[in-house]
Amino acid sequence: MLLKTEHFNSVLVVMLPTDIDAANAARVGEELIARATHAVSCLVVDLSETRYLDSAGLDMLFRLRARMHQRRKRVHLAVPPDSPLRRLLEIVSADAADLPVHAGVEEAVRAGTAELRVRRD
Amino acid sequence: MQGSERALEGLQRISAAELSYMPLEGMLYELLERIRRHVKADTAAILLLDRERGVLVARAACGIEEVREGVQVPLGRGFAGRVATEGHPIIVDNVEQADIFNPMLREHGLRSLLGVPLLVGSDVIGVMHIGTVTPRKFNGDDIRLMQLAAERAAHAIDNAQMAEQRSLTAILQRTLLPATLPSIPGLTITSKYLAAESGIKLGGDWHDVFTLPDGRVAFVIGDVVGRGVVAACVMAEVRSALRAYAMEHHDLATIMSLLNELLLAMGRNRSATVAIFALDLETKQLCVLSAGHLPALLLNPDGEHRQVGRATSPPLGVSTHGEYHTEVVTFEPGSALLMYTDGLVERRGELIDDGLERLGNALRTAVQKRGTRLANSVFQAIASQAPLEDDVAMLAVQSLPLGSHLEMKFDASPDVLASLRRVIARWLAEHQIVDPDRFDITLACSEAAANAIEHAYGPREASFGVDCGYADEEVCVNVSDEGTWRPLEGRERGRGLMMMHELMDSVDVDSTPRGTVVTLRKHVGVRDAP
Repeated sequence: MLLKTEHFNSVLVVMLPTDIDAANAARVGEELIARATHAVSCLVVDLSETRYLDSAGLDMLFRLRARMHQRRKRVHLAVPPDSPLRRLLEIVSADAADLPVHAGVEEAVRAGTAELRVRRD
Repeated sequence: MQGSERALEGLQRISAAELSYMPLEGMLYELLERIRRHVKADTAAILLLDRERGVLVARAACGIEEVREGVQVPLGRGFAGRVATEGHPIIVDNVEQADIFNPMLREHGLRSLLGVPLLVGSDVIGVMHIGTVTPRKFNGDDIRLMQLAAERAAHAIDNAQMAEQRSLTAILQRTLLPATLPSIPGLTITSKYLAAESGIKLGGDWHDVFTLPDGRVAFVIGDVVGRGVVAACVMAEVRSALRAYAMEHHDLATIMSLLNELLLAMGRNRSATVAIFALDLETKQLCVLSAGHLPALLLNPDGEHRQVGRATSPPLGVSTHGEYHTEVVTFEPGSALLMYTDGLVERRGELIDDGLERLGNALRTAVQKRGTRLANSVFQAIASQAPLEDDVAMLAVQSLPLGSHLEMKFDASPDVLASLRRVIARWLAEHQIVDPDRFDITLACSEAAANAIEHAYGPREASFGVDCGYADEEVCVNVSDEGTWRPLEGRERGRGLMMMHELMDSVDVDSTPRGTVVTLRKHVGVRDAP
């Protein structure tokens, strides 16, 4: 699977496909974990092109967060304000704690970078 | 001459009828054995030319193990290579002093050789040669006899190769074209493949239909230039490569440019025209990209037809610099799209525009007749006007209005989820149901379907049904499977059900030993007419 990625120092941005469901969630999750190498300290999951994310997709995101936290890496989400996925994340808000949502990639990268600075200081 | 004629009588006994039934190998061996005995030679062999690789390959031999050893002689090299290149008989009186490529001839202790080309018309298709272990001066009679036998062998080989190519290509075509087309709610997809009956006109035409990872439906029509087995094989490679690229890359331009590189890298000097169409069932957006292929015809609900996907780039495999631009059109319900290869419209001494006009009219008439097999109806209409000279591949897609009740059946595989969501979203849009209701209902149906798929274990191919109804500002969806819902386990399963409850007004699960039906209901606000 080819996911578009972009590096901002140690922040890695990965753009997810239009649909994430039982058909591809496991593969997407493995791909994300494989890309978060030791040189990556923060992962920005870009959902701006994603139209549908089902419970399998959400579960993948929560597992990813757990795996990343074990490795002391943070996960940020980029979800445009008009995306229906916002509503979905609200529905599962209890589970989605500690998974910050930003309006776009730029904001998410900025937040991720700021966190790193705090950690270093 | 007398001697040759008499000697040939033995060869003549292998009659034409015999040739057509005897396998080529056996026939050639028989021929070689007879000629070897007649001229009192020790060995006889036939090598056939592999034009693509420029080598002669041993095909039949007696008195020498050339075939089993897989002897190959490059054109122009050694004894046989020279016979093929020069195209006339060559005699070697003394092998010791001659340039011989194939070491087997020397190892066998051969002293004298006579070789003649196998000719079909003026084309060399191979070489036939005889050899003796004692020194011998071959004479004019020997040469004439060999030439007569070579003529016979060449004829048989040519016939057999043509027949072999024809049947092999036909098998390839049958195997490589999709046996069944996917069934996609809201679309009627029909196809037609026909190889012209006369001569080896089978070729590299193909069509394909599959679902992209983003839920869009991809339609492909293409034509590998050339005829016969090689064209069909290249078609097979291009077809599977296209599918593989499409599974990993979501934009058509990247798929095309990768295919272009592949064809160039294959180094077979084959080019192909390809058009890819990607239909989003929800937005009705149809993306079209054509590399050298003829435009498809789009018939609107009002009966007007126009061309879509005019080639903006050259065929694949021609140039390293391909720029690919995607055209986007709307594929409204009630429209029909016809994709085809050039054999359908091209006729000698006629402008292509006339062919396209004729096709457009045939398409309109066929759609008006409301037949069930659109591709076939269009094909019959065109073929009845004049015989086709080339093979033809066709793909016809009709978009149907979905109505107030939508009844669908899907294979119990997670791969169907993306297109299921697209169809439901389109159906809701057709009833002026917009976001957030549209998103909520679509996702809830998808969750219910994912559950049905998960439970659909069993020895036979399982499927599940989705029925959507809309009345009195309420959408009601039934998702039914033949499995049994096991007790909820784990957070994920719980989350799916919890999401359905949040997204819909009511969720009812009715589980019986014969299956499970999930009923989802939601009151919806309808968008005011503009």
